[in-house]
Amino acid sequence: MADTLTMANINLFAVIRNLEDLCELDNEAKSLIKDKNISLEFFIKNGSKGFLNFESGKCRFTKEDQSCDIKLFFKSPQHFNDMINGKANPIPTKGITKINFLKNEFTKLTERLSFYLKPTDNLLADKNYFKINTYLTAYTAFFAIAQIGNTDKIGKINASRIPDGIISISVAEGPCVYLEVKNGHIEAHKGSVASPRAYMIFDSLKTANGLLNGKLDSYTCIGDGKIQVKGFIPMIDNMNKILAMVPSYLK
Amino acid sequence: MTFTYQKSLEMFKRASKVIPTGIYGHLGPAEGCFIPSNAYPFFSERAKGAYFWDVDGNKFIDYMCAYGPNILGYNDEDVDAAALKQAALGNCVTSPSSKMVELAELMVDTVAMADWAFFAKNGGDVTSLAVMVARAATGRKKVILIKGGYHGVAPWTQKLGYPAITEEDVANNIYVDWNRYDQVEKIVKENPGEIACFMATPYHHPVFEDNELPKDDYWQKIRKLCTDNGIVLAIDDVRCGFRLDIEGSDHYFGFKADLMCFCKAIANGWNISALCGTDALKDAISSVMYTGSYWLSAVPIAASIECIKKLKKIDAPKLAQSLGKKLTDGLVKIGKSHGFDLVVTGVPSMWYMRIANDDSMILHQEWVAECVKRGAFFVNHHNQFINCALTEDDIKLTYDIADEAFKVVKNRHPEIE
Repeated sequence: MADTLTMANINLFAVIRNLEDLCELDNEAKSLIKDKNISLEFFIKNGSKGFLNFESGKCRFTKEDQSCDIKLFFKSPQHFNDMINGKANPIPTKGITKINFLKNEFTKLTERLSFYLKPTDNLLADKNYFKINTYLTAYTAFFAIAQIGNTDKIGKINASRIPDGIISISVAEGPCVYLEVKNGHIEAHKGSVASPRAYMIFDSLKTANGLLNGKLDSYTCIGDGKIQVKGFIPMIDNMNKILAMVPSYLK
Repeated sequence: MTFTYQKSLEMFKRASKVIPTGIYGHLGPAEGCFIPSNAYPFFSERAKGAYFWDVDGNKFIDYMCAYGPNILGYNDEDVDAAALKQAALGNCVTSPSSKMVELAELMVDTVAMADWAFFAKNGGDVTSLAVMVARAATGRKKVILIKGGYHGVAPWTQKLGYPAITEEDVANNIYVDWNRYDQVEKIVKENPGEIACFMATPYHHPVFEDNELPKDDYWQKIRKLCTDNGIVLAIDDVRCGFRLDIEGSDHYFGFKADLMCFCKAIANGWNISALCGTDALKDAISSVMYTGSYWLSAVPIAASIECIKKLKKIDAPKLAQSLGKKLTDGLVKIGKSHGFDLVVTGVPSMWYMRIANDDSMILHQEWVAECVKRGAFFVNHHNQFINCALTEDDIKLTYDIADEAFKVVKNRHPEIE
């Protein structure tokens, strides 16, 4: 059963965080923020906070404290989840004069994000859509691992079984993420590191897309070489048990 | 020249269309840690003695022995002749064969602690039965288990957080660290009159970790604690059974278990498992409803009788340990000559090994893969197994393969000194 706080953290740190990549990958999103110079804070009472910075045609997400132009307050993790699902509105507590950005460009950005995260077979037939869907789905899933491992009741049990170290997850000619695990706490980061303790490597965007969209199973992919795992396998084994929980949050 | 596996891969693709994951479980490429998967065969064609041949015609000295059942060598003539003779008479019949009585008598004569034997099919059948017997005998529900221990795949043996496992499945399990008598004692004190069973393997042989023998007096102290508190002491001898001691692994470590679970080595690959117990638990097991369609089939029973007789005749545990010691001493020495720190733990007849130069096991995975591609089948995550058909020449060939594999890995990693 999905935990509300975990869901809110996934929505913030895995889904909203994706705007960073959407604005890199999608020309329409890129043009929407072209001349924007504005920062947003999402503040969730009894939950987490995160910041989106739009500057020089780029979007950057961070959870490090900073000043912001617009602050959006949410009464609870559930309130934030409702906003993500289009059932509630945020409470702006700062930057009312800049609210037009929220109503216009930001809304369009989130619509663009939804478009890419809700694939159909027809949409996936388009090469560019396929690529962006794979990137965003992969980032969502891999960043969600950290959130589920850190706050979900069962996720925490599985995270506690992951030996300390760094797990690299990469897709050939595609996204790359690494998970830093210490004492059962997981931090997800974009990019690669020199010497991870364990690796999970997808041979192509096609394999990553198939697995993340539920069309391939990881066991068969390991057998036929589409996914390669190596290094300290107990890290991968226990991480995969959390990865398997992602669909229960992101139906 | 190293091996290639075109036919194995084609068969795997065919299998994955009609069999979940292609090959499920421990023999499959995912659970079996085939790293990389293209270094390993997926399907065998035949086996004989210490060897098996895959569907591509590659020949392997097999140090996994089907994960333990192969103890005398594949297709042992005496065991298979006994099985075939029984098959001609009858196998799965409404009334069980009297061979069952013969095997039970043989088990009781062979296993030091045994007053009776109960037969099933897999190791997991009898570990689950052991817990049920302990609960029936004590009227208690909690079970003490070792962290990282393996007792099969029934829901109670798995962990919360694994797919399909509920909190209720594992609610009565209490876990302690291996070799920590103090932890067991504390749990017993904290749960007075509630612990039905302490179950463990004779020594700790988890995957991905160095195997650990019991500390001096560990088992003797556990035995006394169980006796003093009315707790059933159940030993899962499924993996170690008859590779340490023909009288049982409790006998090897100098104590007496209340229940002993056997499987792998008792019939040289024919499908049978056994739970042995003391007279004090005979009433309890008699009260438990537990059976299966093929559990009393006569063919594996006949095979088991012949297997155990032969194991006793050749003193299989002693032979397997001697072969294992010779093999592993040589591997360590060869590794050292190339700058690799090959650490060997456990009992030599079923040793665990890992290259300890890095903490990721990547060097070890690479070396094992290079060995497999040259015809020595090891795995990188689990203990290996010796069978009694292994010869001195096979060991020499393994040395040559290991040497070449170390060279290949060293060339790939110039940082190794």
